[in-house]
Amino acid sequence: MIARDRNWLLVFAVCVGLTIVYPFIADGYQLTVIRDALIFGLFAASLDFFWGRTGILCFGHAAFFGIGGYIMALVTLNDAIPFASLLGMMGAVTGAAFVAAIIGYFLFFGGIRGSYFTIVTLAMGVICQQAAVSWSSVTGGDSGLIGIPPIEFDVGGTHLDLSQDLPSYIFVSAIVAVVVLALWSISRGRWGTVLTAIQDNEVRAAALGHNAPLRLLVTFVLSAAIAGLAGALYVCMAGLVAPDLSGLLLSTEVIVWVAVGGRGTLLGPVLGAIFIQRAQQTISSFNPSLWPLLLGCVFVVIVFVLPDGILSIYARLKALLKGRRRAS
Amino acid sequence: MPPKPCLRACANASPARPDAMDFVVTTLLNALTLISILMLVGLGLAISFGLMNVTNLAHGEFVTVGAFAVYFVQSIGGSFWLGLAAAPIAGAVVGCILEFAIIRHLYSRPVSTVLATWGVSLILQQGLELTFGLGAKPVTPPIEGTFDLFFTVYPAYRLILIAIAMVTLLGVVLLISRTSFGLDIRTVIQNREMAEGVGINTRRTYAIAFTFGAAIAGLAGGLVAPLAIVLPQMGVNYLANAFFVVIVGGVGSIGGLVAGSVFVGGLTSVLNYQISPSLAQAIVLLAAIVAVRLRPNGLFNGAAR
Repeated sequence: MIARDRNWLLVFAVCVGLTIVYPFIADGYQLTVIRDALIFGLFAASLDFFWGRTGILCFGHAAFFGIGGYIMALVTLNDAIPFASLLGMMGAVTGAAFVAAIIGYFLFFGGIRGSYFTIVTLAMGVICQQAAVSWSSVTGGDSGLIGIPPIEFDVGGTHLDLSQDLPSYIFVSAIVAVVVLALWSISRGRWGTVLTAIQDNEVRAAALGHNAPLRLLVTFVLSAAIAGLAGALYVCMAGLVAPDLSGLLLSTEVIVWVAVGGRGTLLGPVLGAIFIQRAQQTISSFNPSLWPLLLGCVFVVIVFVLPDGILSIYARLKALLKGRRRAS
Repeated sequence: MPPKPCLRACANASPARPDAMDFVVTTLLNALTLISILMLVGLGLAISFGLMNVTNLAHGEFVTVGAFAVYFVQSIGGSFWLGLAAAPIAGAVVGCILEFAIIRHLYSRPVSTVLATWGVSLILQQGLELTFGLGAKPVTPPIEGTFDLFFTVYPAYRLILIAIAMVTLLGVVLLISRTSFGLDIRTVIQNREMAEGVGINTRRTYAIAFTFGAAIAGLAGGLVAPLAIVLPQMGVNYLANAFFVVIVGGVGSIGGLVAGSVFVGGLTSVLNYQISPSLAQAIVLLAAIVAVRLRPNGLFNGAAR
């Protein structure tokens, strides 16, 4: 095991430890705040899995979050469907993956990469939000759908009811931990290596026999599926779904979470999401219109000052100290 | 995000005489209004995205700034025409600052450009909102009334808008094909190193071209201001459409720009009669994605770059 992997697992273990300890020191409200932030963290990790591994920026990732959310809402609000929570989550994941597969097929096999991909996915986010607003007989239009019930499961005779704070917190944390660990093991293995090769030089990777468009497509679909799962979890916890969930602002916020946390680290984006959400809540409580302004500044500052995210501060300090020691 | 009535507002003038010929002419003129605006907005984008390879997500804000310039001049008592003169200047100033402060440092980092320009776009939107306050801003057109075109009566201001847009476009074509600055731009686009080798200041050329594109987008914003709902967030409507104009039409030619504008603008105007505007926009963008897949080099490929 190389040192970088060991460090990652160490940080992961510390995070899991903190997540386990947190319920003992926090009250119910604080738990729900962290729970919701963790769901957005899962969403950020899904974007990072694609953006961080392929270097292609998706500017409409909230579309998949929103699709997952709407499918979950529609399934659970329909009384005729049994096992609604389970089927809804499966539907959300499949639906988001399906849309990603269609769009991804058009783009990746059409040779669309780089900025073009970014623009098309930006439009995809706009389309999804427009569709959610205008298809009001199904989606509830501008006001969205309310009264979505919390997740319920019947696992082997025991009834699992996630309407309480602590069970839902544990459920969400477990899903986030498992998914992040799974994504990490995928991306450090052969799959990730080939993706890096494609990112470095697609023509060469193709010449070595790798089907580059297919690899990118599968990565994109997997990333969208997890975003759909995050959307499904979110609407059940929040109890409502609205067109904003697939909007451009959320699409760009998730990019900031990934960029602040450190692209390609999977864990960084989750932490970035939690920190920035906390900051957003604090700042918005002073003045709600201040937040987008600050968000804009964060974008600009990151690009110029911290291109590798907050986790890179540590590496930079180390390099700085090393350099100073050598100089003295 | 606010609702998106801007494109509908500038695409549909209510038909006055309900007969077939009238309907056709009105639809054509509505489409032409939208196409003119899209061409002007797309022009700047064709320069930055198509030629300089800079993905500027703050391009929509040049339109917003232009529209607000007209509103501001009118609110302090100036005429519409004075405002329309201020609009491209305002766009140029913002574009010039953006190029100088951010974009020129990021030519080699495309993803960073996307992030930074999006940040600037958010800052500009909120800045305008904090300065001018919430809510839509009223802009009165310079001429009320309609113009009898034999087949139909049509709002006079829209005809003026189309005329100004066409003249501007013609001017740009002449500027690029006939002047020495146009020659510089074409040289830099074809081969940057070689252009530097023959003594062209490529940084300056890029900066001027970018500022120029921003000014044209500002002019588009000023022109559309009496028809659209002037909001700090109005730019994003034009952003996605303008990008598709450039991508669908094909990068790097005026012909492509026209083809892309006709595709996006024409489809939007026709669909707006049948279905709700948000659904129409969704369908147009979907059609554009399919068009890009089928003709990756643009509808107008084979054009001289």
